[in-house]
Amino acid sequence: MPETLFLKGNTMSYELSRRGFLAGTAGAVGGTILGLPWSNVLHAADGRVVVRVEEDLKNLDPAYRSGPIEVNVILAVGQGLVKFKPGTTEWENDAAADIKQVDDKLIEFTLKEGLKFTGGYGDLTAEDVKFSFERFIKPGPDGAKVDYADDWAALDSVEVTGPLTGKIHLKNPSPAVWLIALADGSGVIISKKAFEALGDKFKTTPIGSGPYILKEWVPRDHFTLAINPDYLGEKPAFAEIVGKPIADDKTAQLALQAGEIDFARIDPAVAKDIASAPGIKVQKLSAIDYVWIGPNIEKKPFDDVRVRQAIRKAIDVPAIIAAAYNGAVEPAYALEAPGILGYWKDAPKNERDIEGAKKLLEEAGQGGGFSTKLTVLSKAVAQATAAVVQANLAEIGIDVQIDALDEGAYWAYGENDASKDLELVLVEYRGKFDPGFQTQWFTADQIGTWNWQRWNSKEFDDLHRQGGIETDPKKREQIYIDAQKLMDDSAAFWWITHNAYTFAFKDTLSPGILPNGNQWQYASFKAA
Amino acid sequence: MSNNAGGASLWRYGAFRLATAVLVLIGSMALLCSLTLIIPGDPATILLGPRATPESVALLREQMSLNLPLYERLFVFFANALHGNLGVDVISGRSVATMVVAALPNTVLLAVSAIGVAVLIGIPIGCYAAVRPGSLLDQALAVVSVGMVSTPSYVVAITLLYFFSVRLGWFPVLGAGDPGNIPDQLHHLVLPTIALAVGWIGYIARLVRSSLLEILGEPYIRTARAYGQPEWRVVMKYALKLACIPTVAILGVGIGELMGQAVFVEVIFNRPGLGSLIFDAIRNRNYPIVQGGILVVVALFVMINLLVDFAYAWLDPRIRENLGRARARGGA
Repeated sequence: MPETLFLKGNTMSYELSRRGFLAGTAGAVGGTILGLPWSNVLHAADGRVVVRVEEDLKNLDPAYRSGPIEVNVILAVGQGLVKFKPGTTEWENDAAADIKQVDDKLIEFTLKEGLKFTGGYGDLTAEDVKFSFERFIKPGPDGAKVDYADDWAALDSVEVTGPLTGKIHLKNPSPAVWLIALADGSGVIISKKAFEALGDKFKTTPIGSGPYILKEWVPRDHFTLAINPDYLGEKPAFAEIVGKPIADDKTAQLALQAGEIDFARIDPAVAKDIASAPGIKVQKLSAIDYVWIGPNIEKKPFDDVRVRQAIRKAIDVPAIIAAAYNGAVEPAYALEAPGILGYWKDAPKNERDIEGAKKLLEEAGQGGGFSTKLTVLSKAVAQATAAVVQANLAEIGIDVQIDALDEGAYWAYGENDASKDLELVLVEYRGKFDPGFQTQWFTADQIGTWNWQRWNSKEFDDLHRQGGIETDPKKREQIYIDAQKLMDDSAAFWWITHNAYTFAFKDTLSPGILPNGNQWQYASFKAA
Repeated sequence: MSNNAGGASLWRYGAFRLATAVLVLIGSMALLCSLTLIIPGDPATILLGPRATPESVALLREQMSLNLPLYERLFVFFANALHGNLGVDVISGRSVATMVVAALPNTVLLAVSAIGVAVLIGIPIGCYAAVRPGSLLDQALAVVSVGMVSTPSYVVAITLLYFFSVRLGWFPVLGAGDPGNIPDQLHHLVLPTIALAVGWIGYIARLVRSSLLEILGEPYIRTARAYGQPEWRVVMKYALKLACIPTVAILGVGIGELMGQAVFVEVIFNRPGLGSLIFDAIRNRNYPIVQGGILVVVALFVMINLLVDFAYAWLDPRIRENLGRARARGGA
């Protein structure tokens, strides 16, 4: 009996499924033919922009954010005293009606009147400014330092002098505080009342006074920013910004071509294909990242500067750019990118010189060559770079094995002094607009964490420190150039590129992107 | 007497399989927890990013119970899981159970529809090939089937997207459709289903063909034919039933493989399913989500296999008889 039941059931389910399937398929196809609303026409010209983000949001608390995707939302929902002018590294007033540097260690501000937090959390006052900034220098609710504490390392206190006025006291002169803290995610003013009321939910419920509110966040599917009706500034051009987390570049490309998204950062290698699609525009933006290969200079034979110089002479950067980047980026010659204070325009452009490299290896007693390991991320560009380097170094007798690791294993070299086991490593760091942000990773106190070359130069450390407190831009510029000269002398950094980001978007859209390519100003997105 | 013996043995068999299932569940979770000790990359550091302070890394390690010994972590995990608590995503603060429950229907729907399509298409192809062995069509179907089996689902997915979404614009690229909007969800389901089902269509077709060929040579089939039964009836009523038994058994095991393939399909179609949830969590070493997600997948896998085993035992009289004999021998 059970056997019969099973078979009948099976047969029945077969028939029903078949009918259901046929009906479903017919419905889908028929619907398509008849023009059911489908995604690629849903958001055309309806005041909504669909943006591809590489990852989902995680933590929207400015002090604990995990990256630029969150910063872009935090800055759309909140306001700082100042903000970056659209598409530039210059700042302009945001929540501040007036703000000025009174002396090297004092900034005074007056807030605009009538600024209100969303969610009924009341007016934005100088007390909120004090709370927002000082929480970076105080232990968090868990007793630990907040993640972005370094952005406000120079802060001593915020003095409230009136409901809308206050003074920011710095421990030492800090020109970087304007670009790294005040105008960036760490300068966003949060509601003290909301923070206390929401508790742990604060990190997923941003409360601000900015142009947008976070209307909806369906984890792993999308988030929607809608215009904040109480925002006092210029209203954004688009009623809604929808962020869709799409991890896969190819999927993003196809979604853009199919018209399901309006804006995406894309793989530069496919830029030409996408640009040929009707209605799509491609924009390339030179970035301020720093990508380089470097040795662990504590390990033999890389402790010998001649070996390092030899490898620098052997690596063919133009070939790397052609093979790994499809020619879409410019080569880098030093740490600071063009446009950043301290950019070293006269940095030596090391030409490839195989004979010179061999001679240096001979001098270093390595004329017979040696074997080494190059650690890279298991991403296409990194692996293609490694393959070129492998071929380059084979020409001077160095046998390179490529160790391609996933992100978890790769970034583990930044903990527990694990970098001491590295030999050669390909690294890519994101840049910020202040040169001190870039130099901080190469100081001696970063050995064991992010100074993977384990390069130790007291002179460099002093310059980094001086650059952090020098307020004269000319002198600062020279300090950072001098610091880069030291890096060049060490031959421990073989620069590849500052990167370039390629964006593809509908030709009806004019996106707002800061020059680092990572920060997208949603409120500055306009119709073209 | 024999039926009673078989029935009782089936219960014993069921109890044994249930106990094995629980052991498999515990064993797989223990293995998973051990892997977190072996795989390089401290979850707390990766989750918090390079700007995290040592204090917050230490605190997160504590929140994730990474400072506890393995057996203790396992005990805490199962004790919480028994209360329906799969832990908390330490970054967003969201409940892992909620995240898994939100993602699960998308994956189950995809897996079931893919298997359904594979069965609906694979069985007729297999039957057709078996009743005309050696024909031109049989040979052509063999080539097509093998081609389908050997084409990775992500290649099919990208190809489908290019032609049916980008070129023709018939189907959407992204997501699983608006929740509650069934036509929209079905619309979003078509291409991922085909991408996942293609390999299985070929596999099932080959399996059914070989089983059916074997059964069509059995004496009882010859007898049925001798009684003048029409050929379609002989195949559909008498042969196909038994020919499907290996297919049913394979489908149970295949669910696990399907879940693995679903990861690629979900990533490519950007479907917020369980596969992509676990994939992202592994990439970020977000172990509370990995553990919660894997527990549900393993439970699902074990449950389906259990059901298949029971169905197999009910279906095949030889198994019941064997169980009955085993009990009789045990009693003696």
